[in-house]
Amino acid sequence: MNKETFRSKEFYNLTTMFKFIDGIRNVGRIVALCVLPAILFSCGNSNSNYEPLPKTVDFNFHIRPILVQNCYLCHGPDPSSRKAELRLDTYEGATAELKEGGFAVVPGKPSKSQLMLRINHEHEDKIMPPPETNSKLTQREKALLEKWIKQGAEWKPHWSFITPIINEADKNARIDLFVDRQLEQKELTKAPLANKNTLIRRVAYLLTGLPPAPKDVKAYISDTSEDAYGKMVDYYLNSPAYGERWARHWMDLVRYAETKGHEFDYAITGAWKYRDYLIRAFNNDLPYDQLLKEHLAGDVLEEKRYDSETGILESQIATAFYAMGEGTHSPVDIKQDEANRIDNMIDVTTKTFQGLTVSCAKCHDHKFDPITAADYYAMYGVMESTRFTPLNADQSVSKELTAKEILDINSYVKTTVAEKITEELSSQITSNKKPNLDAVNGYKMIGDFRNTDFDGWATTGLAFGDGTTLGYPILQTFSGKLLSLEEGKASSRIFEPGVMGTLRSPDFILDSDFIGVRARGEQSTIRIIVDNFQLIQWPIYGGLTQSVSSAKWNNYKFNVEPWKGHKAYIEILPGIYDQHNFRLPPKAFIEAQYAISYDSEWPREVETSNKEKPSKDFSLDGIKAINAHIKNGRLKLQFPELVAAIDSRKLSKPLKDNSFIYGVSDGSATDSPVFIRGRYQEPSEENIPRRFLSALPQGDIPFQSKGSGRLELAEAMLHGDNPLTSRVMVNRIWHHLFGKGIVETVDNFGLQGKLPSHPQLLDHLAIKFQDEGWSIKNMIKYIVTSETFKRSTLNDFEPSNKDPNNIFLASFPIRRLESEAIRDGILSAAQSLDSTLYGPPIPTYLTQFMRGRGMPEESGPLDGAGRRSIYQEVRRNFLEPMMTTFDRPIPFTTFGRRDVTNVPAQSLILMNDPFVIQQSEIMAGKLLAQKNLSFDQKIEWIYMQMFSRKPTEKEIENASQFMAAIEEMKDMDGADENRDLEVWKEYCHSIFNLKEFIYLI
Amino acid sequence: MSKYHNFMQRPLSRREMLTICKGGFGSLAFMSLFGATTFSCSRSKTALDSSSNLLLGPHHLPKAKNVIFLYMDGGVSQVDSFDPKPRLAKENGQDPRKKFKVDATQFDNVGKILKSPWDFKQYGDCGMPVSDLFPHIATCVDDIALIRSMTSQFPEHTNANYFLHTGSGLQGRPSMGSWMTYGLGSENKNIPGYVVLDGGLIPPGGLDNFKNGFLPASYQASILRAGPQPVANIIPKENVPNLQERKLDFIKQLDDKQLEALGEADAIESAISNYELAYKMQSSIPELTEFKEETEATKKLYGFDSDDPHTRGYAAQCLLARRLVERGVRFIELTCPKVSADRWDQHGDLKDGHEKNAHAVDQPIAGLIKDLKSRGMLEETLVVWTGEFGRTPFAQGTDGRDHNPSAFSMWMAGAGIKGGTIFGRTDEYGYRVIENEVTVHDLHATIMHLMGIDHEHLTFRFGGRDMRLTDVHGHVIKDVLA
Repeated sequence: MNKETFRSKEFYNLTTMFKFIDGIRNVGRIVALCVLPAILFSCGNSNSNYEPLPKTVDFNFHIRPILVQNCYLCHGPDPSSRKAELRLDTYEGATAELKEGGFAVVPGKPSKSQLMLRINHEHEDKIMPPPETNSKLTQREKALLEKWIKQGAEWKPHWSFITPIINEADKNARIDLFVDRQLEQKELTKAPLANKNTLIRRVAYLLTGLPPAPKDVKAYISDTSEDAYGKMVDYYLNSPAYGERWARHWMDLVRYAETKGHEFDYAITGAWKYRDYLIRAFNNDLPYDQLLKEHLAGDVLEEKRYDSETGILESQIATAFYAMGEGTHSPVDIKQDEANRIDNMIDVTTKTFQGLTVSCAKCHDHKFDPITAADYYAMYGVMESTRFTPLNADQSVSKELTAKEILDINSYVKTTVAEKITEELSSQITSNKKPNLDAVNGYKMIGDFRNTDFDGWATTGLAFGDGTTLGYPILQTFSGKLLSLEEGKASSRIFEPGVMGTLRSPDFILDSDFIGVRARGEQSTIRIIVDNFQLIQWPIYGGLTQSVSSAKWNNYKFNVEPWKGHKAYIEILPGIYDQHNFRLPPKAFIEAQYAISYDSEWPREVETSNKEKPSKDFSLDGIKAINAHIKNGRLKLQFPELVAAIDSRKLSKPLKDNSFIYGVSDGSATDSPVFIRGRYQEPSEENIPRRFLSALPQGDIPFQSKGSGRLELAEAMLHGDNPLTSRVMVNRIWHHLFGKGIVETVDNFGLQGKLPSHPQLLDHLAIKFQDEGWSIKNMIKYIVTSETFKRSTLNDFEPSNKDPNNIFLASFPIRRLESEAIRDGILSAAQSLDSTLYGPPIPTYLTQFMRGRGMPEESGPLDGAGRRSIYQEVRRNFLEPMMTTFDRPIPFTTFGRRDVTNVPAQSLILMNDPFVIQQSEIMAGKLLAQKNLSFDQKIEWIYMQMFSRKPTEKEIENASQFMAAIEEMKDMDGADENRDLEVWKEYCHSIFNLKEFIYLI
Repeated sequence: MSKYHNFMQRPLSRREMLTICKGGFGSLAFMSLFGATTFSCSRSKTALDSSSNLLLGPHHLPKAKNVIFLYMDGGVSQVDSFDPKPRLAKENGQDPRKKFKVDATQFDNVGKILKSPWDFKQYGDCGMPVSDLFPHIATCVDDIALIRSMTSQFPEHTNANYFLHTGSGLQGRPSMGSWMTYGLGSENKNIPGYVVLDGGLIPPGGLDNFKNGFLPASYQASILRAGPQPVANIIPKENVPNLQERKLDFIKQLDDKQLEALGEADAIESAISNYELAYKMQSSIPELTEFKEETEATKKLYGFDSDDPHTRGYAAQCLLARRLVERGVRFIELTCPKVSADRWDQHGDLKDGHEKNAHAVDQPIAGLIKDLKSRGMLEETLVVWTGEFGRTPFAQGTDGRDHNPSAFSMWMAGAGIKGGTIFGRTDEYGYRVIENEVTVHDLHATIMHLMGIDHEHLTFRFGGRDMRLTDVHGHVIKDVLA
């Protein structure tokens, strides 16, 4: 037995992995297992030519897979690994003259095509693919290649890069037509429709992740109206639990977690608010194009979206998905840390929204897909120009209006006073213009807030208003007498303290030893962000953050010498990062005059930048002159008419923020060089403009935005000609409903992904999805009302041999429920489910096996407070064992498709986990609390709770025998009531262990 | 038990056998419909196949059947253990920056050159120098191949831990133990193939050091702890004899009915038989941690009679490791005991910390090697001893050492290893490797090689790439192989 035979055997669905092991230990047995059927059914690769060749050989479906598998490693898109200068991924490449003469492919003439010659060659050193690659073409593959060349060797772009189209003839076709067409071709017999109990259980679980309530089952069964099914589907689509189910699907894509993992597992501020955002978005059927836009660019949308009920600003919350990544504690190389972080952001973004693995092009052009390293670094620039930031998660329409009103009043007051002063003093205001030369005093100005504006710095949130305080009049409270004009400063308490906002400089290169900021404030923070690194702290980076808590003006100095040459920006904000968890105390505020960089000593004087003064405003020097006039009594002005306006501000609603989420805002537009071999230490000479992927529509247009270009990225993905966005999403929906996508590799639509099983159906759905306004609920309804969806899982007729994996959906696929659905199903059956929506996560229940750094001081409750699994905390370093054991993915990248494993740890959970035992007892208690139920009725109650159906006679009989036996075994003294509870608990526990409970059958 | 005859292991049924084969060629049949896609099973596996528990089998004749990975969490100081540097004594107290370029360190608190507080002596036929920290391990040097030229890419614990365990400094990648069991399976059907013996300290980075990453969850480590419940949920909660069996019998009866009604449902069938294994694990696992049949002499060899509770604790871990090897577990990792201050991470008070840590593990490890050897098991068992990085030859503060990824020492013993070998060299300070650098990828490649796996050919397709434990790196270190 050579190793090739050994490896070429695939074992699907073995009863347990341990049985394989049996096989491995006993090689003889393996041979017996493998060889026998190979003979009987001619299933080996080399024998698979029993199927006739297609009439028309299609490049995408027949030829490219052969080339990808056997040729592209050396003759593909990546020039660095290309041999003999031959590329077979393009028509031009394949038909170009070869180095040694001749042509690889001569369309129409297989006998003249070197490709045919070489794949049929007898010599070991001539045959392709070379023997050392262990690849070998089958007779069928060779025949396909020959026929394809004969037919003209037509090249097509990869199927998923062609915009979806629908044949004229299929314009009015629906799902079943597409599915049935293929079933007929394969001569597969359709399973009958499932019964109503099965259907309601299937729909309830797939739409809401919960079993149907027994009363709803009864209502549906007795509803004989024609649209009973449709009404039932609507009922679950409109249930709040729908959003919880589909939000969790989405959370798998964005590596949702509430902590950052690594050494100390720091919290991600307000992560759960993003989870709640998703639940609302799905429940409100937020159109998918909007969902996409909000994720990629929710902070920079021209049209913001507010929650219709609460008025909360929703659209910016979605950007938290960028910030869900892991975070390294004190990395020594922060530039590499940034590269890792950005790589993960690119990976998640492109897999989630485009089903492409762009990250593969980090070190070289993609080996298979038309994605270049330049594409990767075009995206890299987008991410590098994006900054992480705490956002106020409770920003709302009313707050924004209030803020605007106050700013309007301020502006009115200021203008009124200024005009009067100008009248009085026009000749006396001397504008002072000292030249401000950078580095005159050995310092450089990074930001000067003593003039009217923020000097090119960016703000988020409301706190800093729309400009500095320069020239704002201070009037005596009652009389309106002008006391003075304010000097310029950036202030986060323009409205009041405790309002959220950030003030950040543009990116600059650190070229001095020190950064200085003149500031004052209360419970606030100044940070120097180097290479976008956020987890600033002891032991290496502690000096890059300082808290500001003094009402007096101080010079805050930062020693940045170790990071000279790095890119950085300054962040000024009210509030503090407490173990990296942002919070904003109600009294917090910060004010700053300027920020500089310098070597050695803080300069004796930092002059104001010389700016053209805007017509209505005074310069800082002007203000000083005016204040001098007021002080010495030469300028006496009163504005009693303004007192009311000023007072009115006090009546406005409070603007204080107390809810935060970690998201993003725009930074300075930065184009990145290509990092040769993925090493940032080896940048290319030229920068790659930020843009979309070059192989896709809009991919060659550089982004024009002054920020990151994320909005343009979103728009490119939503461009009408984009072939992927819609396909990828409808395929995800299909995947969640059938347990398998039309394209099985839901996150990979590239050349290495699987081909669609129903390509026309996929295009039909993709077009329909866009045409009908990207409504996810409509798409779900459309799919679940198809006959294909309603088929039974019954499978006891022959088709299994023709379609053992049920690719063509002759029957509905049997599937195990996901971890969340199993746990929530147990809670629901035991009537312990607390269906409260939203809110902070329930702390993780810690078993003795869950330890290590960052461990929470206290364990959460065993039953997770009865809340649904989506509300249980997701701590990267303390993932819930029940969730991971039943295949919830580890949150580090996009997982659109979960594994379905079958391991003893799963059985052990259902057999012995205290949670399951606890719920069995609760369920038994609930059962016995209902007085006057007969034995049969008790069993029926349990079956309805767990299986949404009534028990059969036989099942009742089995139950009765079982209970009798248990009673005998228990043989306890104690009261009858207790014994009853004990016995019924064992019964409920057993029923939780039935496959019918954790499978959709 | 005979009463519960349903609940017994049975031979493969005809249908199961068909199932096994059908899956395999079923997918081939599908491929032929569209032409062979990229997923030909002969070379690599796609994420799609991940539900199917594929096995590759060894690529070549393995030397080692099992690995015991003794993880010295925190980073043992190489110049105080296996890499003597007389120059440190000569220049003790001098400014290192005047001697060589000092890299950025995690604590950035560079002190003076610090000589080792321990003496080195030569041991064995090979004359390998070992410091006084490890008098017991020193007696095994003729079985040990020492590598003095290890490097890591990361000076931070967590990245370095992930890197050492998964070949990537990032979180969430499959651990080497997962790769091994993915490639080779376990030899025992009643015990998982990859076991971590939790000695009291889970390394920084947490359980993700032992997770399956993108491999199916079946390949994650099972955490075993000393005590009445060694594995999660392994103890039945039924308080009446035979009650659990009766329940399982009932469950199986109903499940079988269901299966009958469904016709063919491989998934259900597999899930049913999974219970048999789970049931058996309930007795096979606790049995493991009872040392009843171990002789006093054996226990003494490991240090069960030590005054130091940490030595006794680690001795039990080591003995347990041997018992797991006997039962065919592929990959066993031991984490460190919780010695008073911290694991090997002595940023301060090097002498006290290293001494306590060494005392806890020295005798048990030597006992393990000797015990394996006397039972003829060392020939098939690879014992690996390493930290995630080394420590600086200069002080952190006055009496500690900071992290040093540029050079550290590790050793291997047992299956396929050339005992008494020293490979690689560091500079005169033990600060950097100057000859025969061995990367973590190389270490992985070598361990895999000994297990019969070609590290370049054990792949799993994920995210559009054929992923490997060694990424695109790694060379087998032939010089340490017998």
